Amino acid sequence: MKARVDRDVQGLRAPARIVLTLLLALLVLAVSACGRKGGGSSRNAAVMDSTLVIAMLGDADYLNPVLASTVTSGNIIGLIYPSLLQSEFDTQTGLMNYMALEKKLRPVTPGQGKKAPDAAIARSWSMAPDHKSITYTLRKDAFWSDGKPIVSGDFKFSYELYGNPVIASARQQYLSELVGADKGKVDFSKAIETPDDTTLIFRFYKPVPEHLALFHTSLTPLPKHLWKDVKPEDFRHSPLNLEPVGAGPYTMKSWQKQQEIVLASNRKSNLPKPGTIASIAFKVVPDYTVRLTQLQTGAADVVENIKPEDFTALLKANPQIDVKTVGLRVYDYVGWSNIDHEAYSRSGVIKPHPLFGSAKVRLALTHAIDRESIIDGYLKEYGVVCNTDISPSLKWAYNPKITSHGYDPEQATALLKAEGWLPGPDGILQKNGRKFSFVLYTNAGNARRNYASVIIQQNLRAIGIECKLDVQESNVFFENLQSRKLDAWMAGWSIGLEIDPLDVWGSDLKKSRFNFTGYRNPRIDRICELAKQKMEATGARAYWQEYQDIIHRDQPVTFLYWIKETHGFNKRIEGAELNISGTFYNVDDWRLRPSANIAR
Amino acid sequence: MLTYILKRLLIAVPLIFGVLTLTFFIIRLAPGDPAAFFIQPGVSPNVAEQIRAQYGLNDPIPVQYFKWLASVLQGDFGRSFSRAQQPVLEVISEALPITVTIAGLTLIANFTFGILIGIVSAVRQNSFLDRFLTVTALFFYSMPEFWFALMMIILFALKLSLFPASGLNEIGAESYGPVGFVLDRLWHLALPVTVLSINGAAGIARYVRGSMLEVIRQDYIRTARAKGLPEKVVIFKHALRNALLPVVTLMGSSLPFIFSGALFIEVIFAFPGMGRVTVEAIFARDYPLIIANTFISGSLIVLGNLAADVLYAVVDPRIKL
Repeated sequence: MKARVDRDVQGLRAPARIVLTLLLALLVLAVSACGRKGGGSSRNAAVMDSTLVIAMLGDADYLNPVLASTVTSGNIIGLIYPSLLQSEFDTQTGLMNYMALEKKLRPVTPGQGKKAPDAAIARSWSMAPDHKSITYTLRKDAFWSDGKPIVSGDFKFSYELYGNPVIASARQQYLSELVGADKGKVDFSKAIETPDDTTLIFRFYKPVPEHLALFHTSLTPLPKHLWKDVKPEDFRHSPLNLEPVGAGPYTMKSWQKQQEIVLASNRKSNLPKPGTIASIAFKVVPDYTVRLTQLQTGAADVVENIKPEDFTALLKANPQIDVKTVGLRVYDYVGWSNIDHEAYSRSGVIKPHPLFGSAKVRLALTHAIDRESIIDGYLKEYGVVCNTDISPSLKWAYNPKITSHGYDPEQATALLKAEGWLPGPDGILQKNGRKFSFVLYTNAGNARRNYASVIIQQNLRAIGIECKLDVQESNVFFENLQSRKLDAWMAGWSIGLEIDPLDVWGSDLKKSRFNFTGYRNPRIDRICELAKQKMEATGARAYWQEYQDIIHRDQPVTFLYWIKETHGFNKRIEGAELNISGTFYNVDDWRLRPSANIAR
Repeated sequence: MLTYILKRLLIAVPLIFGVLTLTFFIIRLAPGDPAAFFIQPGVSPNVAEQIRAQYGLNDPIPVQYFKWLASVLQGDFGRSFSRAQQPVLEVISEALPITVTIAGLTLIANFTFGILIGIVSAVRQNSFLDRFLTVTALFFYSMPEFWFALMMIILFALKLSLFPASGLNEIGAESYGPVGFVLDRLWHLALPVTVLSINGAAGIARYVRGSMLEVIRQDYIRTARAKGLPEKVVIFKHALRNALLPVVTLMGSSLPFIFSGALFIEVIFAFPGMGRVTVEAIFARDYPLIIANTFISGSLIVLGNLAADVLYAVVDPRIKL
């Protein structure tokens, strides 16, 4: 009996033992944590001083310039691969400048051109007088990081990849002026010629402005000697995609999918030189709050797209953080369906939308919306009222004479009254028995648009318009937009640095895939056509000024605000220049201040 | 029992297959399109079409279905649309170990603490300790995990800087040596596992307390006490074993969790586990990956239920299968 009881007591001890073990484990963990904190920081000091950590929302898709389609991939590819030309956005003029070693498209304005064009593989170029071909001469001292020379054949080979429909590169559009493209298929034997290793000729089927020719012929090359045996159908899943071979200031050290990409300075690089910071880690941190925390604790040095509402707390918590801004490329707008989209999708008949079909009504809506108060309440100094889709940053084309349609509810009411919209018994405007009531759709998960939509709802309510709000999952929202199913919506665009608005406003609704409003104005079509024919970008200035006048008058949408993109930087980074063409435009020149100096 | 298990497994095959077929059609009905990403200004309109052709999405849906069926029967779940054409099984095999580690640690902590707290509350029913534990457990049980996780990060990573805010390892952790690497990993797992297990343990504690209270009132417990057995023996040997029967079912149903992952925690702590893979696949309309994930979680739910039923029979001789 005694033995039995003893065994029971032992059995009873088992849970106690588990608890003890667990407690011990926790203790070890806590001690190791403390040890890491104290001892770790000195051990990590060397690593920290030589590693720049960039926290990013998502992983790169491909580190292959032919396939990459995200901004993150583009940033990293820019550091690994060489490029034919060096491009730079001139903030004084708002024009893109392209530079070869010994030639520049435009003279560099004072205070611009902070990077020497040493990264360019082209020594020089010459544009044919008829603007139908461009000839590059390449430098002889450019080498892939495996030691093979970079030759004109690499570029031709890469363009054949970009143009291959089986590979389905997102950059096919760049090839749209090459010989044969007008007939549906680029004829590479004629379009790109390589008489010798340092001569590269592109031929176009029509005259192309020089700046566009430079832009479209300077796609990033792949090393032909490594890729030539990969079949197009295997291209997307070739193991070579995981081991990019480039020639730029950095090489890829490791890529742990969905975790981090680590780049190391390419000691052999002369395009332009080995990166100054020894190693750059791009860490995937999907949650915004956690990225913010990492910036605050110093676990990350750069976090992109910080929301304005977080600045104060962030800067107060860690004075070592600096918020840098760049812009203006991104704007939000309220889209109004100009045409009766139901009739259009049913029978292809184009007639004005019962609510938003008239330019006067749309103008009234713009007057009714208090854009300044949306900016004051959310974006603060990081927002600018938007009048048309030509950014004030594109100084050469921007029309400064346009005065905003200010917040003026009386004017709005008067305009609506003139159009026959009168208050009904319930206070809601009515015309021919139809109430002015609609649903404003937007995509889920955007705090800024949520904020704006609530203000818009209140503003419209004040002049007797009923606006209901609905938030849709992004895929659903986008599909509804594309199939022109929505009456009114809030969305945004990020503009390209070359002006080409035909996709958004073109009258041919089948061809203009992004003309969600159904806006049609033959003069806009004509202006876009005429501007494209100018062989010098600034020559089209008058057209773009007129374009802005028309868009401002017709109000196909209510433009809300331009957004300055705001990025958080740790102050230990020195020499960071932000450019509208990218946050990491001169990252190879950034330096890290040693941690000893920070402590002081 | 063996025939019972075999029978259940045989029934499971058409069941899982039905689930996959349903998933196949339902995700294709959802608005949005895997190539939608390539429909943007500056990208040739042909690209989306070419991508669709690559993915075989231009075929009529029944044709797609039979092609898919043929490859799945050969064990090929295809290549992911959204993750650089990686084979989906490879994507999953990269994510699974991470999820299993977190979930395994969590489950151990869950059941250990859950059962202990449950016992204490039941034995000291209505005491201050019981009320304190009950209120605390309910407090944590009703707290949203994502919020709790963020609070833990703010406290332990930001204010006290004891633990890292995210990631699986420090940058350069490979140089710490194997022991250092594992310690570093554990250090990174401490916060997420704590969040998950506090939340889970609270739930289990409520279960155990309930069933323990029921068992303690049974006649055989009174008999055991009347025999003069020490209270501890009565509680742990006679009462607990019977009280744990419903908890066994809980264990079975936890199996899918081990493999399907804890989404919020994975997103917040930046772990590339199964939860994130699944949700990102859904948002990207990555059909092959969605189906493969459904297959895994579907099979595990079926297996988990089977395991629970079998375990039930093992621990309770009254139940015959």
